[in-house]
Amino acid sequence: MKFSMKLLLWTMIIIAIAFGFSGFYFVNYVFETSLKREVDQALDESSILRFALETAALNIPAKYDVLPDHTVEQIASNLESGGHDEGRLLRLSGESRETLYASEGFEADAGLLFQTDESKRAYRVLHIGEKYYIQTAVTVNALDRVLYLETLKDVSAVFQERSLGFSVYRRVTILVLLLGTVIMHVISSWLTKPIRILTRATRRMAAGEYGYRARQVSQDELGQLTGAFNRMANALEENIRKLEEEIRDREEFVGAFAHELKTPLTAIIGYADMLRSRKLDEEKSFLAAQYIYTEGKRLEAMSFRLLDLIVTRHGQVEFQKTQAEQLFTYLNGMFRTKSGEQFDLVFDYEAGSIWAEANLIKTVMINLIDNACKASQPGGRIEISGRRVSGGYSFSVRDYGEGIPKEEQDKIMKAFYMVDKSRSRSRNGAGLGLALCTEILLLHNSKLTVESTLGEGTCMSFVLPEDVGEGENA
Amino acid sequence: MIKILIVDDEKPICDLIDLNLSAAGYHCESVQNGLDAIDKIEQGEYDLILLDIMLPGADGYDIMEYIRPLQIPVIFITAKHEVKDRVKGLKLGADDYLIKPFDIVELIARVEAVLRRYHKTEQQLSALDVIVDVEAHRVTKAGLPVELTNKEFGLLVLFMQNKNVALFRETLYEKVREGEYFADSRTLDLHVQRLRRKLGWEHSLVAVYKVGYRLEVPQ
Repeated sequence: MKFSMKLLLWTMIIIAIAFGFSGFYFVNYVFETSLKREVDQALDESSILRFALETAALNIPAKYDVLPDHTVEQIASNLESGGHDEGRLLRLSGESRETLYASEGFEADAGLLFQTDESKRAYRVLHIGEKYYIQTAVTVNALDRVLYLETLKDVSAVFQERSLGFSVYRRVTILVLLLGTVIMHVISSWLTKPIRILTRATRRMAAGEYGYRARQVSQDELGQLTGAFNRMANALEENIRKLEEEIRDREEFVGAFAHELKTPLTAIIGYADMLRSRKLDEEKSFLAAQYIYTEGKRLEAMSFRLLDLIVTRHGQVEFQKTQAEQLFTYLNGMFRTKSGEQFDLVFDYEAGSIWAEANLIKTVMINLIDNACKASQPGGRIEISGRRVSGGYSFSVRDYGEGIPKEEQDKIMKAFYMVDKSRSRSRNGAGLGLALCTEILLLHNSKLTVESTLGEGTCMSFVLPEDVGEGENA
Repeated sequence: MIKILIVDDEKPICDLIDLNLSAAGYHCESVQNGLDAIDKIEQGEYDLILLDIMLPGADGYDIMEYIRPLQIPVIFITAKHEVKDRVKGLKLGADDYLIKPFDIVELIARVEAVLRRYHKTEQQLSALDVIVDVEAHRVTKAGLPVELTNKEFGLLVLFMQNKNVALFRETLYEKVREGEYFADSRTLDLHVQRLRRKLGWEHSLVAVYKVGYRLEVPQ
């Protein structure tokens, strides 16, 4: 059953019960009060009649010691017609409770007579035919006789009022219930609107429409729930997006890796197959062997780089205080002997200490300088500099080589990406250098900044936090 | 002579294909760059193009657009192995698709198959005094017809396509087996011996120790 239906049903049940009880109580209260008033009136009247009877008896000429029955009848008849209206009903009974006089239509039995005596008046409510009566009984001492006087008062009107009250209340209750149902239906569907909106949102999201959001229509608890739900959906969508991106990156990596692996493998397998199945002349044999060797070397370089990458990603790194000058001295010594003749290497650095893992930073710098060499023409100028900047120490490598096209600049950090494949290949590049640098710098909470103009050159730089002594405890 | 253009950004792969196809009697040229490839295609007339997909300059799919109006058959040779890549290549109008790393024997067989489909191959293979008409399934020795079974014919074609190349038992075995699962490797020797006898090639079809067989033809 729908929540709005439950709300409606329960409200209606409560309204019906409340109206029923209060109506019954109210009508009954009014009835009881009226009935009591009638009873009091009947008793008063009965007292008056007794007094009148006694007075009449006293006024009887004193020739009788005992009140004769016909006199009693006479008095009773007078009393019956002497009231303010003609509807008075009375009955007089003798000592042995035999009827002496009864008005026409006085049909009650004599049961009440046994409940009354000198000091006590008795009454009861009677239901005769369609009518309700109050029957009273009193004892009358007239001369020496004990007489019983009974009256009958028609109170049907009171009972009619009660049933009228009930029927009016029933009608009002039904009307209120009908009206209430309509109003509560509107109210409950208005109250439960956020729930319906939320339900629709969850359904659509479950069907894969992760961008769908529930509309917030109120500020109450349900509105807050909608808000919280939307925030959760945002967080989920963000997570899904990140996961998808990660998966795409991984797929790209695997695809690129497979490609990089297959090319040297094809060459190695093909040339080896040629060597084993053909009679080749010396020149061709040498060429095949040479290709097997160089492609094998390429595989080796790639696997080592890949291993570096994996170790860096999962390895524990011990940071220590390192003097920047030492790093530059090391690099200077290394590249002077290696490529100092081919390129114009310019070292320019300030003193400073950094908080880093020195070997990894060396790897980054070697990669950057290697890349600069690859991009430069022989004899090209390569500037390697270190500067103290606010809060850290900045390393940069600038070349005046071919530069990187704008649209490729954000791809170069990806594994196996090479701007110029054939050039890079010819120098044993695996396309993993910058990916490795990015990983290493990530460990140092730093990142590589690339500024490059096509045809003018490239400047790659990164900033490491300066050692400020707090590292001792870290 | 049939001219084949090889387009691959890897020099070693180009040379590998070039060496093998040249040995099989084709004339080969190779380029390592997509733009150069387009220039070459526009200038020269080729009978077949072997095309890599990932290329600097213009990729294989782009180059396909230039080739299509020229009606030159194309075989894609690429490391991209996923079904969707293969389907894309074939839909663009490639005639075949070869995935790296590939076997040289397979490459040559596929080149033959595509050329045969375009009727560009020399219909007749010849070695010594034996002439094989592949289409007509007819073999003649010194002008006289020789009756061969299907398996013998398959083996003979393979030998003639790979003259002076030692063919490995497993490669040859594929030809002989043709769906029979329980044939042992002695079946191969049996077929080769029958072929020798029928063609009188006792000295030309030589066994290569630990490898298989080779058809030796004076070059």
